[in-house]
Amino acid sequence: MNLTYFLFFICIIVCTLIITYWAAKRSNTTNRFYIASGSLTGFQNGLAIAGDFISAASFLGIVGMIAISGYDGFLYSIGFLVSYLVVLFLVAEPVHRLGRYSLGDVICSRFPSNKMRLLMAVGAFMISILYMIPQLVASGFLLRLLLDIDYSISVLVIGGLMTIYVVFGGMVATSWVQIVKTVVLMSGTFLLALIVFSNVDWNLPYLIERVKAGTPLGENFFIPGHLFENPLEFLSLQLALVLGTAGLPHILIRLFTVRNTMEVRRSLMSSTWIIGVFYIMTLVLGFGTVALLGYSGLIGDDPTGNLAAPLLAKAVGGDFLLAFVSAIAFTTIVAVVAGLVISATTAFSYDIFHHILKKGQSTEMEQLRAARWTAVGIGIISTLFALRLETINVTFLVSMTFVVAASSNFPVLVLTIYWKRFTHVGAVTGMVSGMAASILLVLLGPHVMNPADGWIVKEAVISLYNPGIIAIPIGFLGAYLGTIFSSKYMQSEQAYKRFFIQSQTGIKARGDNR
Amino acid sequence: MEERVKELIRQKKRMMTISLGIVFMFYFILPLSLIYFPDVMNRTSVIDGLTWAWLYSFLQIPMTWIVGWIYHNRAKRFDQQIEEINQGE
Repeated sequence: MNLTYFLFFICIIVCTLIITYWAAKRSNTTNRFYIASGSLTGFQNGLAIAGDFISAASFLGIVGMIAISGYDGFLYSIGFLVSYLVVLFLVAEPVHRLGRYSLGDVICSRFPSNKMRLLMAVGAFMISILYMIPQLVASGFLLRLLLDIDYSISVLVIGGLMTIYVVFGGMVATSWVQIVKTVVLMSGTFLLALIVFSNVDWNLPYLIERVKAGTPLGENFFIPGHLFENPLEFLSLQLALVLGTAGLPHILIRLFTVRNTMEVRRSLMSSTWIIGVFYIMTLVLGFGTVALLGYSGLIGDDPTGNLAAPLLAKAVGGDFLLAFVSAIAFTTIVAVVAGLVISATTAFSYDIFHHILKKGQSTEMEQLRAARWTAVGIGIISTLFALRLETINVTFLVSMTFVVAASSNFPVLVLTIYWKRFTHVGAVTGMVSGMAASILLVLLGPHVMNPADGWIVKEAVISLYNPGIIAIPIGFLGAYLGTIFSSKYMQSEQAYKRFFIQSQTGIKARGDNR
Repeated sequence: MEERVKELIRQKKRMMTISLGIVFMFYFILPLSLIYFPDVMNRTSVIDGLTWAWLYSFLQIPMTWIVGWIYHNRAKRFDQQIEEINQGE
């Protein structure tokens, strides 16, 4: 590793550790540890949400996908962006008003029971871990490719850092690491986009011409249909993308870190601006890669195209820019995995330890200690998993996370908030059926069952890579059937009205001190 | 008091349902039109050099910003009205 790389990485590690040290002094209550006492402003939280959401898969994967498949790569971005409107309209404000630290709080404010809380916690825990492992595995490969560091060392460094941020700095450190990441990522991408334009004399038509010359697709590069041949697959993916975000626990718990619903909306508005601008820039980078490097230059080192942005940086700015972009990718990964660690930690230490095992009776100190030890445990377990999974392709876990979130958490949240007849049993059956269906469908799908290189060398039972279009309706159907077969447990009209008014306005009825 | 709060919630819910309907329609027309009318989508649009497929997918970005902003403003007014009722009580 040469000195430029080393300095960039040390700089990032030192900066984030300073943030953690500063945050550690402020993380001495559970309120601060889990939600930074709701002290962030809407704009800061918007930056943090963007930092939580834009994974290395977005930064590196989408640039590569655009460079290889043209138009279709860009469609991913659109789905991710529009999904924020679903969060804003349907769940953001009620989640903020009903919950304290976790999604379990939100559902239990209507259906208070340990079983319900346990199920929500297991869901949040699973989604976070399933999402974290592929990120860690990808980070190992990425650092190996970029910096020639051993896979296990890369995973250990990133796993160690994410654990340190959360254990010592809790949500305060996590939020600020994510904010810094967004600023670095946005400025780096902007810089790279400018350099691309300067390389084509600020002439867009010329850039397009060079793209056509650089890709084997030629004119067709700009025409849809290179990534998604099966229309059902395409629709299914778009559905899971647009509904998935509203069920992702690590994004939703960020809505607790601001003080009121006005700031919640500001957070989401700011994040849509940032994410929207970011995806436009990834388009420029994708085009730039094909135009300046050509297709063969892109897939020479890595046929997945994930190295598009770093290779582009090297081509236009030499080693220095490559080091900078690698540092951005590194920050991107640590910020996302830290967000996932805190989400899994909250699910375990707050929902399971505090509420279920200790029946809500543990002291502040006990809770904090439990939270920190949980974070250590989660850090170690997921790092170990990532180390073991080096040789196995786990990228399917990323799309599975969106499907699981869209078909379990999303239906249960929406129906809990808006459906008067919804019952406790319906919430349980909805959660279980959505989760089981999505996992089963992925296991029976071509990600796992593949005659060429699957875990199970057989023809897939379900031909969809993204089974959202089947799993999401199953989640809703499970919730509906559970409800109509348990209508005797229906809440009284009065109780639902109280709950609904609170979810929509924050006004609590007298005597209702939940 | 409760009647006024309920009326306000009804209004907000209506606004939310309509906006969500518009967003879903606007969004799902993109994949559906690409699946069912690929020829039309690949024709040059009102902007020279840009096909309908590109123009329409680009429009999703300002759509997200504008619809979000409209919702944010309405919701702000709603919050203020609720606050007034709550204080006046």
